[in-house]
Amino acid sequence: MEPNVEAVQPQFRSGISGTKPGGMGFVFDDIHGLIPAPPETDGTSFTALLELPPPQAVELLVKEDFPAKSMPPPIFPSNIALIDRASMFSVFASADNPPESTNILSASSSMKTDSVKQEPLESEHHRKSSSPAVSNQSLKSIKRKEREIKVKESSKKSKKLEANEASDGSGEQLPYVHVRARRGQATDSHSLAERARREKINARMKLLQDLVPGCNKISGTAMVLDEIINHVQALQRQVEFLSMRLAAVNPRIDFNLDALIAVESESSIDNSYLGMFPPSIWPEGQLNSSRQQQPWLLDGLHPGRVDDTSNFITQENSLLSYDSPPNSASLHSSQLKMEL
Amino acid sequence: MAESSNSRKRRKIDPDSQTRIQPETGPTRWRTQAEQQIYSSKLIDALRHVRRGGHGGVRDAADRVLAASARGRTRWSRAILTNRLSLRLAQINRKHKKAARPSAGKSRPRKPAKKLPPVESKVKVLSRLVPGCRKVSLPNLLEETTDYIAALEMQVKAMTFLTGLLNAGAAAPA
Repeated sequence: MEPNVEAVQPQFRSGISGTKPGGMGFVFDDIHGLIPAPPETDGTSFTALLELPPPQAVELLVKEDFPAKSMPPPIFPSNIALIDRASMFSVFASADNPPESTNILSASSSMKTDSVKQEPLESEHHRKSSSPAVSNQSLKSIKRKEREIKVKESSKKSKKLEANEASDGSGEQLPYVHVRARRGQATDSHSLAERARREKINARMKLLQDLVPGCNKISGTAMVLDEIINHVQALQRQVEFLSMRLAAVNPRIDFNLDALIAVESESSIDNSYLGMFPPSIWPEGQLNSSRQQQPWLLDGLHPGRVDDTSNFITQENSLLSYDSPPNSASLHSSQLKMEL
Repeated sequence: MAESSNSRKRRKIDPDSQTRIQPETGPTRWRTQAEQQIYSSKLIDALRHVRRGGHGGVRDAADRVLAASARGRTRWSRAILTNRLSLRLAQINRKHKKAARPSAGKSRPRKPAKKLPPVESKVKVLSRLVPGCRKVSLPNLLEETTDYIAALEMQVKAMTFLTGLLNAGAAAPA
């Protein structure tokens, strides 16, 4: 889930900046062990890297000192978007140009320059990319290792994490149907479908989190769902309460509208039925309704209606005027009748 | 549902049309003042024809008008509009039945909980809250919930406004 990603990433960053001298050595060994036999968790960290804002990603790139000699020859990602991102990083990183990361930088910069040449190559790997770029791989491995060190997750959990990250990344960059199998992840149809499903669900959860106030800080599906349920229940209770109050006012609704329309009729009112919005502003309390109502909506409301018992025609009653001849109580309604 | 999935596909593949599509569909359309105006005017009309008495008569009318404003693109709105009569009948029947024979056998099938994951149970609760979404898959349920929440917020705003308006209208001439 994205909250997990957010929780993990700050740890990772602090890990890099905090334990740079010693931690890097530790990380080096892991990288050496990693490169010949990459673990099952794959380059989703690359997408996590992509999700980071560029300066922070550059920070990661710059601060990581790992020997580039032991890197395997660069293999390029098949996604053009990833290439662009990587080239962006290389542009930033080449300004500082630390010695250790020159190889990666050269690889990525060569990626940038030879992007046209590489595209046919990448199109081969388009579907099943088991061969991401060097920088990606190294960064992935570092990030993954850091994460496993810091968080000490089981392999299953990290797989899930990265599955979610992959889903977040691929959901935002790749087109809808196309879910790429990342390096090290199972490529059978089941996990692909599962990943696609997860990414759909996570995208919608994100939307919901934006909608419900106070959900951004909560991490975990269950808590977020709790908040959503509470919010829906609260809104429904509010509607219930307001409907009670409206019901109390209801008997006098005609009388109230009478008074309001009388006030309204003094001011200039746009009576055109063609859908032009009246210039009055809603919060000012004028009841000018829009003329955009379409007949089929009225049909939706119509079955629920008893006979038109209203003895008072307002501008809003233009809705009713199509079915029954209203009692004209004001000049406006007669104008509307003529228009109809 | 098909329409929403289509619009999702369109959104992802063709971002240029996104600006065209999103004002029509998606939860942001409930935020516009235009929607609130439309809803309030229709609500006033509907309120005149509310049958006398009956608990929740105004509430049902308000929900119906809200569902009508949704233009039939969402599941919950269609469910509200189609289930109106059957829901009322079911409520009345349930009240009579509850008084007549307290059901003893009904609660038993619900007690054995075979699925304990808290996420799953919360999803079920949520599906009960959103009308017409009991057997809907999770991603669609979340989408319906998004729209439903946006619509409910608009409904609350409009009803608050109307109540204040009518109260002020009542107070002023008196």
